[in-house]
Amino acid sequence: MTSAAPGAPGRPGGIRTSKLDELRVVHQALPRHDQAEKIAGTTRYAGDLAFAHMLHARLVRSPVPSARVTRRDSTAAAAVPGVVCVLFGEDVPHNTIWVDVPGQTVEVAALKASMEVLATDRVRFHGEPVALVVAESEEALTAACELVEVEYEELPGVFDPDEALADGAPAVHERGNLIGEWRIDRGDADAAFAAADVIVEGSYRTQFVDHAYLEPEAGVGWMDDEGVLNLRVATQVVEHYRDVARILGVPESRVRVIAPYVGGGFGGKEDMTVEPYLALAVLRTGRPVRMQWTRQESLLARPKRHPMRLRYRTAARRDGTILAHSIDITADSGAYAYLSALVLLYSSVHACGPYRVDNVRLRARCAYTNNPPTSAFRGFGGMQVVFGYEAQMDQVAARLGLSPAEIRKKNALARGDTLPVGQVIETEVLLKDCIDAVLDRAGAKPAPSGPRKAVGRGMAANIQSYGRLVWLNDSAAAWVGLQLDGSLTVRCGVPDIGGGQASSLAQIASEVLGVPMDRVTVHFGDSALTPLAGTTTATRQLLMSGNAVYEASVQLRDAVLGAVARETGQPAGGLAMRADGAGGTVIAGPGLRLTLPEAVLICRRRNVPAEALGTFFGPKGQPVARDLRADRVFPDFTFGAHLCDLEVDIDTGHVQVVRYIAAHDVGRAINPCRSPGRSAAPRCRGSGWRSWRRSWSRTGSTWPRGSSST
Amino acid sequence: MTHTATITLTVNGQRLTRTAGAHLTLLRWLRDLAGVTDPKYGCGEGVCGACAVLLDGEPVSACLVLAAQVDGAEVTTAAGLSGPGGIPGPLQEAFHACHAAQCGFCTPGMLVTAAALLADGRIRSRAEIRAGLHGNLCRCTGYGPIVDAVEAAQEARQARPDPRDHLGRAPAGHDAPRPRPAAGPERGR
Amino acid sequence: MFIRPFGYERAGSLADACEMLRERGEAAKVIAGGQSLLPMVNLGLVQPEVIIDISHAGRDDDGAAARGGGAVPGGAVPGGGRSGSDRAVAARSREIGGGDGYLTIGALVSHARLAGDPAVASAQPLLAAAAARIGNPRVRSRGTLGGSLAHSDPAAELPLAMVALGASYRVTDGRSARDVRAEEFHLSFLTSALAEDELVVSATVPALGPGWGWSFQEVARREGDFALAAVAVLVRMAGGIVAEARVAVGGAADRPLRLADVEAALAGASPGEIAGRAGPLRGLSPVSDISASAGHRAHLCAVLVRRALDEACRRSQEATA
Ligand code: FES
Ligand code: FES
Repeated sequence: MTSAAPGAPGRPGGIRTSKLDELRVVHQALPRHDQAEKIAGTTRYAGDLAFAHMLHARLVRSPVPSARVTRRDSTAAAAVPGVVCVLFGEDVPHNTIWVDVPGQTVEVAALKASMEVLATDRVRFHGEPVALVVAESEEALTAACELVEVEYEELPGVFDPDEALADGAPAVHERGNLIGEWRIDRGDADAAFAAADVIVEGSYRTQFVDHAYLEPEAGVGWMDDEGVLNLRVATQVVEHYRDVARILGVPESRVRVIAPYVGGGFGGKEDMTVEPYLALAVLRTGRPVRMQWTRQESLLARPKRHPMRLRYRTAARRDGTILAHSIDITADSGAYAYLSALVLLYSSVHACGPYRVDNVRLRARCAYTNNPPTSAFRGFGGMQVVFGYEAQMDQVAARLGLSPAEIRKKNALARGDTLPVGQVIETEVLLKDCIDAVLDRAGAKPAPSGPRKAVGRGMAANIQSYGRLVWLNDSAAAWVGLQLDGSLTVRCGVPDIGGGQASSLAQIASEVLGVPMDRVTVHFGDSALTPLAGTTTATRQLLMSGNAVYEASVQLRDAVLGAVARETGQPAGGLAMRADGAGGTVIAGPGLRLTLPEAVLICRRRNVPAEALGTFFGPKGQPVARDLRADRVFPDFTFGAHLCDLEVDIDTGHVQVVRYIAAHDVGRAINPCRSPGRSAAPRCRGSGWRSWRRSWSRTGSTWPRGSSST
Repeated sequence: MTHTATITLTVNGQRLTRTAGAHLTLLRWLRDLAGVTDPKYGCGEGVCGACAVLLDGEPVSACLVLAAQVDGAEVTTAAGLSGPGGIPGPLQEAFHACHAAQCGFCTPGMLVTAAALLADGRIRSRAEIRAGLHGNLCRCTGYGPIVDAVEAAQEARQARPDPRDHLGRAPAGHDAPRPRPAAGPERGR
Repeated sequence: MFIRPFGYERAGSLADACEMLRERGEAAKVIAGGQSLLPMVNLGLVQPEVIIDISHAGRDDDGAAARGGGAVPGGAVPGGGRSGSDRAVAARSREIGGGDGYLTIGALVSHARLAGDPAVASAQPLLAAAAARIGNPRVRSRGTLGGSLAHSDPAAELPLAMVALGASYRVTDGRSARDVRAEEFHLSFLTSALAEDELVVSATVPALGPGWGWSFQEVARREGDFALAAVAVLVRMAGGIVAEARVAVGGAADRPLRLADVEAALAGASPGEIAGRAGPLRGLSPVSDISASAGHRAHLCAVLVRRALDEACRRSQEATA
């Protein structure tokens, strides 16, 4: 949807945004460049690539949630015709997947958590991998997996995080069940509660959620002619080649991860899935191997969204001002750490929502249980707490007779405010605009469609960080190069997980260099052949890779214009590079008109490379300690508001969404992709590439603001 | 009883014969034996629709049909909705214009299901389109753009009757090529 | 995905299939549309050694259907017993036939055909409505009546409609045929009265009589899911009061249930009295599972019965008006 005015030049902060009418390619609703082939059915996803005579691999997983493994025997399985090998943990060169989270946790040091690639003597969740079978056919695999003999001596398990933290709980790991803890103590919460006109308490629980992307985990691995292990897998992170190398004990330069178009990620393909197993199978057999997880495996064993128990106490003044929050969070991390400590950090920082709260006491803990592990999931811990803080806002509003919109707008963060953690909001907060936009679009609450029906309206607002934690030294690189015919090649390691990531890069390069979109080719997601751009996670790719491509494109444009200037004696400042409207690109100046191929030739003659590498570095900051107090935790935040009208059948409880409206401050959308005339029918706006927030920056060093919501 | 079966199917107009285990589902037959990979594996239980194909014009879950059961049948996948030379069919054009594919994994199944829904030429309401696409899951788009696309396709057909049928096939002697939609840049790899 | 190889055998007729079943015993499974069997096979829950395909039975046969008898509502079924040649049996399994106040539907008729067939829509609209509620378009393309009946899922639409209609199923072991009343056929969760070597040939229901109204209602978490509760109701109003009523509920117990007590209580009720007479449903003690508690199911059934009675009465009055 469209709402507030587009970002105007001269917005505070000295951030330069182009006038919208200057932009030709960026901010246009172009069909995404990957769409045509997806719709034609020709896109080859990770599971679609096959080699002649490739092998197939499958995991044998624990059928129990907590047990000692007392015996493993592969004799019968290995004897099945067509079986090539059966591997146990002992066959893995370094049988450890490290979860090395920088930042402070219980141990007041980096979290040195790890898990086995293949469990050897202890299993901690139902579905934990115990053996890897490699065979000539899926049929042999099916037979052999049933014949791998593993004996389990079941141990008591714990399945609730609060119970896991209680005295005497079964220890999931030897060092205890507490993985991470964060605290915030800001202002004087006790005094604020003592002075409050109303105090509202609430306890909220969220559940396990599976990412449920349509494409289950899959990939193909092979050894190439240079002895490099290639893994073409459905992933959000090609940089896992380093983890694979560490497990295999080979140099990092010998492992290559290729990310084809991914059938949805949402955080679920951020941790490794098939990678180490494919790698082991290829290394062991020397042959191409395919691994395809079934949906049932994916649901059973791959990390989920953290269930959280949120306990809120909120103090407010009669006029609706929120004075204080006291918050206690317990999160279920499941059997292994994965990214739990960081997810919980996000929850902690976002726990007060998009509101100014001066007095906060927060304690957040995450605990091991014998449930499936939990890890990254869209929002990365920022989503669960919305349930808590927004329910509290509604309760306070109800107690004080305020409308949900009023109380939210009254307490909305503004530029210059300080978050409880200590970070100052440096950029514009368009929360009120978003709230007004959804209210405006929604109009009056609809009447029930029948006598035994009731319509309810709910609204919620949120704050969500974007970019990675500042102490992770985030960076992204991209290469752009002009071909002799004036077409453009972009190389960038970004994995495209369905968000239009690669397409947006093409738009940015096209914008800067004036090369029409159909003459831009993007090579992406290849850890060996494209400059590394980091993970497609944390809503960071457009910010990071977008800026890297922008940097590289500007360098290239300036180099070409410089060469032409020297060749022609014209001042470079008077030259422009733009689409010629006839499918090509021109370099134009006073009395000058050169085609791009001519300009590329000039570059050649003058020893000017018609290519450039751009690297963009994220903002830097210090790691936080357990007691959270930091000038900067995230690069920046974005805000949004949603409104939902739904109808309940009072007799059956059947719920029908009547209307769902969302407004997000997305900055300048690279591809707003609006489809005019769309009704405001129920639509899941919260997901999908339209919420791939933030635009690239013309200055390359700050965060552009603009307001258009899609 | 047989453990192997020689099956001939006409897939998107092409006759293909393969011999393999009689237990293979149509989905595996297409993907692993025939190299037809636009029907996707998403669940194997008939619930996601990623594997949907048209079997003699009817939408089916390819994961819930044994290839041996349908020897001799005509199978249409999403790729089969394109005209000669890969010219997008009318429904594909509408998907393109409405941005109905994000990650694209559900798209082939959505397309064939929608094609079957519109086959009889009757105009469907938005609610009927939604009901017709029940059983085809999409995790990215929120469905809105997909319903938009199906609506747009039937509106376009009404406004400008297309000689091609819903499978994008031109009637004999009538070749109606149409330009590709505004082409984006080519994909690298 | 990962399934154990099995043999495949295509039956030319239902009698052939029965013979194969006797030969292979428990290791064999019958497939028609495969919409219940193949999910279980794909998940490894069922590992057959051989699958017997009846989907082609009688396909090339143009012989006339053996028009057997039909069920008399609430009464005995005439015309049971032997039913002609293999050819005729097989043909009957592919057909929708009618006449004499009955409608006979072959076991191999797909849900889509059942939902869309004009003869069914006019003769017994309840059945068409029930078929249209099944799963999604793909399930309806492939799934067959016989498969759904034999699978005997307590939450499935067609067994419920059949029980409400007092249907009779023709089943055969290839040597002789017998007729089984729907209520006696569906025994428990996924358990029917079929012997190991028997197959359903067809189902016969009475056509909707003059003055009858009907309604089919269900509640599921999501459209297309198996119902948490489903209700099929038939009512005949006469002189402004309920003359006859049929009430059946599905999804609530281990099989679809006719609620005779409720039916009896409704007789003679005026429209204003119907809700009160239906009351809390006597004769129903629902099951609890992960989808819904017994209490919730009982509540849903009561609500749906009320709504279905409303709609059926309205239709009955329209039909007689
Ligand atoms: S894979 Fe066939 S419906 Fe999901
Ligand atoms: S576009 Fe990703 S699942 Fe539909």
